[in-house]
Amino acid sequence: MGIRIKNVNKSFGKHLVLDNISLEFKDGDFVSFLAPTGSGKTTLLRVIAGLEKPDKGQGRVFYDDVDVTNISVRERNIAMVYQDFINYPSMTVYENIASPLKVSKNKMSAKEIDKKVREVAELLSLSDMLKHYPSETSGGQQQRIAIARALVKDTKYIFLDEPLANLDYKLREELRGQLKETFSYNKKGIIIYATADPLDALILSSHVGFLHHGKILQYDILDKIYNYPQYIEVASYFSNPTMNFLEVNLVKENNDYFLKVTEEIKIKVDNKLKDKLNKKEYLLGIRAQAIRPNRQTKNDIIIKGLVELVEVVGSDTELHFKYEDFPLLGLSQKIENYQIGNTIDIFIDPSKFYIFDKDTKELVCRMEGEK
Amino acid sequence: MARIELKDVSHSFEIAEGKEKLEWAVKDMNIVWEDGTANALLGPSGCGKTTMLNIVSGLLTPSKGKVYIDGKDVTELSTRERHIAQVFQFPVIYDSMNVYNNLAFPLVNMKLPKLKIKEKVRKIAKILGLIDYLDTPTSKLNSAEKQKISLGRGIVRDDTLAILLDEPLTVIDPKMRGKLRRQLKIIQRELNITAIYVTHDQHEALTFADKVAVVKAGRLVQIGSPHELYSNPESPFVGYFIGSPGMNILDAKLKGQTLSLNGFKIELSKSITDKIGIENSECQLGIRPEEIITNREKTTGTIPFEVAIIENMGSYKILTLVRKNGSDRNLRIKTRVDIITSYFKGDMVYLEFPEEYLKIFKDNHKIY
Repeated sequence: MGIRIKNVNKSFGKHLVLDNISLEFKDGDFVSFLAPTGSGKTTLLRVIAGLEKPDKGQGRVFYDDVDVTNISVRERNIAMVYQDFINYPSMTVYENIASPLKVSKNKMSAKEIDKKVREVAELLSLSDMLKHYPSETSGGQQQRIAIARALVKDTKYIFLDEPLANLDYKLREELRGQLKETFSYNKKGIIIYATADPLDALILSSHVGFLHHGKILQYDILDKIYNYPQYIEVASYFSNPTMNFLEVNLVKENNDYFLKVTEEIKIKVDNKLKDKLNKKEYLLGIRAQAIRPNRQTKNDIIIKGLVELVEVVGSDTELHFKYEDFPLLGLSQKIENYQIGNTIDIFIDPSKFYIFDKDTKELVCRMEGEK
Repeated sequence: MARIELKDVSHSFEIAEGKEKLEWAVKDMNIVWEDGTANALLGPSGCGKTTMLNIVSGLLTPSKGKVYIDGKDVTELSTRERHIAQVFQFPVIYDSMNVYNNLAFPLVNMKLPKLKIKEKVRKIAKILGLIDYLDTPTSKLNSAEKQKISLGRGIVRDDTLAILLDEPLTVIDPKMRGKLRRQLKIIQRELNITAIYVTHDQHEALTFADKVAVVKAGRLVQIGSPHELYSNPESPFVGYFIGSPGMNILDAKLKGQTLSLNGFKIELSKSITDKIGIENSECQLGIRPEEIITNREKTTGTIPFEVAIIENMGSYKILTLVRKNGSDRNLRIKTRVDIITSYFKGDMVYLEFPEEYLKIFKDNHKIY
């Protein structure tokens, strides 16, 4: 049981937005479609929800093995939350949350509606706001009202289209945690969530699909896609902050193989990985989290970094620095003072390296091998 | 270049309306922005930060107090006379002109010689990364490039003393926001010009500024470097507002050396209670998620909590913890834990609160 889509194409005019997408989701999944703006994730969400129809042809959408491709969204019993908080301004928070139940086909008694509204309001910390109007609430609360309206219906499938995108960082952080908690109670349905924010995908999802030019470049369980991104595009985008890439050469010295960044930095390749590496040039991917101003492991590579820019992000400090001619991005998991223009010791954990094929942009292996 | 000072500045929009009981948009503001520094005014919408900016720029004369630039009283001077450039949320440029003419416009108005104008425009365009676009019509540019031109038009004049940026990234495409944010910072450093950046976004403020003024309800809450605001918040508001997740703020009661929280106690050293100097009081305990030690095993002195939410942040996890039996739904603590250890909802963990990190607040002010 669950949702299945098969060979879905979608074009707007001559522009092909979704290119032959087939996917399957099981009940209990929290699926994120992750991609930058304009990659088709909202369209994919809308096609699955029934707000858009796939192009004529083979494209099919199944809910619980029933073909719903031509069934209108109203008859599908789904809920949708949009990026803009859409609430009725003339109704109180209570009335807003109750509204989907009042228009629903299976009539509920006033008492049942009241019970349901209060339950959902409690879940989303809106209990104290029920008598207020949406305009009297904060942006975060307005989006929670919209989410409450989606949840109150008890639909099996819930679709959320970038619901946190218009909130500032503190509200995003709070609401993200609340969504995580709220949806942990919902294990019988499927949540489908479109986002441009890698952190949303990382925190909320059980599965992530990465879209690139209308195709699904990788679809996997969260752990797999985050730790083994199959393509440079996935690795680069599904990193927070973005991944560093360095061009390296594979060199042989005596009987050992090394990945050479500079004369100073040559990383010995484990014997087990040697068979996988048969080209001369590779791209080395390093997440900022593996590049730090303090020691992480005894095997750390130590380099000198010229600090160029320091950014405070949440409780971390992002360090933009130069090593020789290479611009690199490292991370300190604290808020610390670094003087721009100073040269500091930087520690890099080589076991965290990703080796990508320069031509195909595919992941060849991780430095520490497969787990 | 300029040192800007607000001295005892208050402003009410109701004085003009003749109301007796006044609401203050800005109250008792004393701030100095040193020459050549990057600064931010950070606060939620409606906190008075844009009013402050308008007072600095001269768009608004404060009801009380003075504005000084390099020691000179400019309170009654116009924006033009103060030589302050401004960048607003929406790029202010001439869409019918190319990049060169947009940047040259303020200089043409000053009737500078053509060669001089060319030299200045090229210099600014280089700093802005627009040198290859001088002939491009501005209508062909993206929002980030347009915003850079608004900035360029402000800084192209030699007599510009300071630059004010009012939420300059609001209309910029999210993909380009980070890049432009970094560029603004680099441009400020390169020109060594006094800059004040107004935003409600902690990320932008802490990245851009060497010194951040946190404003709430028209009042200055705290001013300091990002590091100072993070490690030494003067109020629970700053503790929570700076850092992600924010500082845990827990209601407590201090009696002798014992800090009683909802359902558990922490014994403080005498050196701390001596410093606090209050024997018996309601207060709040503040500690950051990354400062709490989270143990899987029970040991003496640790405090049991139940895992409610697990958030995987990529290189670490954030746990939201509740007291067992859910006796108090509001008592929630967040802690930062390593990425390797597995946690499940309902697991028990045992917390330590290292004394060196504890902050104690009373009536919204830090007392330790």
